[in-house]
Amino acid sequence: MKASPVTVARAVAPVIALLLLQGCGRPTPPQTAGGEKGQDVAAPKAAPTGKAGFSPYTARSYPTRVYWGDQHLHTSWSPDAVGAGTRVGPEEALRFARGEEVVSSTGIPVKLARPLDWLAVSDHSDAMGIMSEVIAGNPKLMTDPVLKRWNKQMNADAQQAYAAVLEGIALQGKGQLPTPMKDPAVALDMWHKMTTVMERYNDPGRFTAFIAYEWTSNYGGGNNLHRNVIYRDGKALADQLSPLTTFVSENPEDLWKWMQSYEQRTGGKLLAIPHNGNLSNGLMFATTTFKGDPITRDWAETRAKYEPLYEVTQGKGTSEQHPSLAPADEFARFEIWDKGNLNVVPKTPGMINTEYAREALKNGLAIEARVGANPFKFGMAGGTDNHTGLTTAEEDNFFGKFPSSEPSPERWSENAFNFEGRTVKGWELGASGYTGVWATENTREALWDAMKRKEVYSTTGPRITVRLFGGFDFQTQDARTRDLAAVGYAKGVPMGGDLNRAPAGKSPTFLVAAMKDPLSGNLDRIQIVKGWLDAKGVTREKIYDVVWSQAERRKPGKDGRLPAVGNTVDLATGTWRNTIGEPELVTVWKDPEFDPSQRAFYYARVIEIPTPRWTLLDSLRFGVKMGPEVPMTLQERAFTSPIWYSPS
Amino acid sequence: MKWIGRALREPLLHFLLIGLALFVAYDRFGPAGGDGERIVVTRSTVDELSRQFTARWLRPPTEQELSGLVDTWVREEIYYREGLVLGLDREDPVIKRRLRQKLEVMQEESLGGDAPTDAVLEGYLRRNADRFREPARVTFEQVFFSGSAPVAEVERSVAAARQALERGADPAALGQSTMLAQRLDDTPMDVVSRDFGAGFAARLAELPTGTWEGPIASAYGAHLVRVSARRSGTLPPLEQIRPAVIREWESERRREAATQAYAEMRSRYRIEIEAKP
Repeated sequence: MKASPVTVARAVAPVIALLLLQGCGRPTPPQTAGGEKGQDVAAPKAAPTGKAGFSPYTARSYPTRVYWGDQHLHTSWSPDAVGAGTRVGPEEALRFARGEEVVSSTGIPVKLARPLDWLAVSDHSDAMGIMSEVIAGNPKLMTDPVLKRWNKQMNADAQQAYAAVLEGIALQGKGQLPTPMKDPAVALDMWHKMTTVMERYNDPGRFTAFIAYEWTSNYGGGNNLHRNVIYRDGKALADQLSPLTTFVSENPEDLWKWMQSYEQRTGGKLLAIPHNGNLSNGLMFATTTFKGDPITRDWAETRAKYEPLYEVTQGKGTSEQHPSLAPADEFARFEIWDKGNLNVVPKTPGMINTEYAREALKNGLAIEARVGANPFKFGMAGGTDNHTGLTTAEEDNFFGKFPSSEPSPERWSENAFNFEGRTVKGWELGASGYTGVWATENTREALWDAMKRKEVYSTTGPRITVRLFGGFDFQTQDARTRDLAAVGYAKGVPMGGDLNRAPAGKSPTFLVAAMKDPLSGNLDRIQIVKGWLDAKGVTREKIYDVVWSQAERRKPGKDGRLPAVGNTVDLATGTWRNTIGEPELVTVWKDPEFDPSQRAFYYARVIEIPTPRWTLLDSLRFGVKMGPEVPMTLQERAFTSPIWYSPS
Repeated sequence: MKWIGRALREPLLHFLLIGLALFVAYDRFGPAGGDGERIVVTRSTVDELSRQFTARWLRPPTEQELSGLVDTWVREEIYYREGLVLGLDREDPVIKRRLRQKLEVMQEESLGGDAPTDAVLEGYLRRNADRFREPARVTFEQVFFSGSAPVAEVERSVAAARQALERGADPAALGQSTMLAQRLDDTPMDVVSRDFGAGFAARLAELPTGTWEGPIASAYGAHLVRVSARRSGTLPPLEQIRPAVIREWESERRREAATQAYAEMRSRYRIEIEAKP
């Protein structure tokens, strides 16, 4: 193994490089089932039919329930959060996610409409908890002139405090944070406190508190390469290694090495979830290695192993697909943030091509054809990325990204981001998203295993139930079965799975079903998004409307497009009626343009009818009039993990 | 042993011994301040620095690294003391906050780190029974009629299904297919509420058992429902929920201790606010 040339040579870098070398130099431990590189954790199978007890449901070994959670939440232990005024710590964040009422950082009592089933508090590993010490004026840190100045600013007013935070983000991006913030001893101490809190609130069967952190690489100045690292393990293993910080490396390849090192030393398991490719200025899904070399099979397998999921939607925009890359996709223009990177450094042409999920899934097929492995074989996750300690993703209960965007009459018009005059406005923040996990039980192990095998999906907030199965033998009548999952698992693979070598004359068939969130809008339609690599080696995509509401009167036009579902939102009251759409949609769909020699993927996109966006509800609650640029309604949606087809 | 005798008469040795004695005496009893203020790097400080390093890098520090850590520690200590001499700690809001935070932690810790006894936990559990009570559970079957059909059609379908059920038809064959579970076994009411909606759960809680009832409305449509079993929410014994009871007890005690400690301290002061806030 060679030491990575882009590992930034800072004081601690040589030491960690040595550590990594030691880790990699060891003989490979015996492979355990499901632990092989590139091979997914064994997927659950339908229980063999045989002598059953009275209840036909007790013998089931496949997931029958979706567990809802957020894998991306910051609390006052994140330096940028506490600097911006967040006072909600990890403990209150967990209590809130479990359904308890807490008081927000701006003094507003807040409670979720429904509890979540799990939460990963993913505070930044860089200087975790240290900004609190800066505010509190820890004398150890006050020897640094910059920290001393920040301390003054953070204790002055909100505007100055936020300026200090932005300066911190910028310096972090350039690798120039004040030295005391990089003190590993301080960081490790906070990590142990964090894992203690998580352990206390992890309640197997009831509520899962994942140990997690965010590795926050802003390589090159605000190019978002962030990853949330999620532990399958408890405190005993997690405490053995301090989280990787970007003071050690900003290169994701070094994160994978660190993860490998952790797994080898502790016997534990980790996965990483990248997010905000839309703010990476072309780097998130670059089709080369970090250094710019061609991707190798080994590189592709390593990325696919450690990064089985991608956060496709969150508060800073949705990264499913950019409208310019999919002109035929009428739903692509949804919560798009495409001005620049995290520091609002403007994009140059071409960057968009390697930032969005669908495009990456397509490019992954092309790379696989070339090197024999697909580096971008990921499923879909959602998270809020809120820095308030409050995981709010519902439009009528949206507490913003920072305390400055907690409910107020001004939040829509203020700058959510401001870097040297390059701004993103408050109204552009989205109340999104959550991850639904098809797991057998609510434990760290079961949920993590489902994430690893990609049997998860993301939504922009509503708890839409979605099933997707792929196989070669689904029949129309399977959509009318009383037990969809039993048929799905018996005849196919669930979302996140693989189909190989189509039998002669057969095309992939998909059993897809969705049920609305009881508290949200009806469903407009289910679409299957297909991406493939054609005979010339060019990536292609096509979107099929496979089942929709009011089908008896909504027929596709000459252009093949389905008429819009309509809009029942009353802008004067902020209400809507479920007189359009359907509570449930289900169908079996067969790919009409299948070529068994071509690689492909298929995922489902479920679209709700229009409902009020948080901006409309704010305008009514606070009696403010917003500009014409501000959207007042939206069509919430769910994105499932894909099912891949491979000819070999 | 002649060399000992010779050595004891050696002037150099006398000089050294006297020096050592003076040094020890000065060390113990000598005045602080001036150019002689002492900074003692204790064994436990060195051990702690070493421990922190080891936890991070999974190996003990080398001699050179440890010496570097000690140098940094000494440097900080000197700056700290010089800062105090200059009075930089006075009227500094940051230092005020830090001292407050430290005192709060001390007050929390003064509660004692001992694990609470079973008697204490039992008492806490009884006093907060509602917080620890298991949710009520229910076992039921449902026959579903989609709400997207016209009302009259739903009413006809419901009536037909009810008659079929009275004739002993298999409920799993009636109504329409749905992703909602056709039967839920021993399921907590809060889960029913999340799956079907709060209104449905509230109605379900009132139904008699053993007979087909309804229709009940949910967010999805209408349901004929037969409840076959119910369990009221029982209070689990301590041994089943000990970690949760300890967590809540500790959390509450931390909050109470902070409130009490502040009240106690505040009672020692007379607060005069000259301007109306």
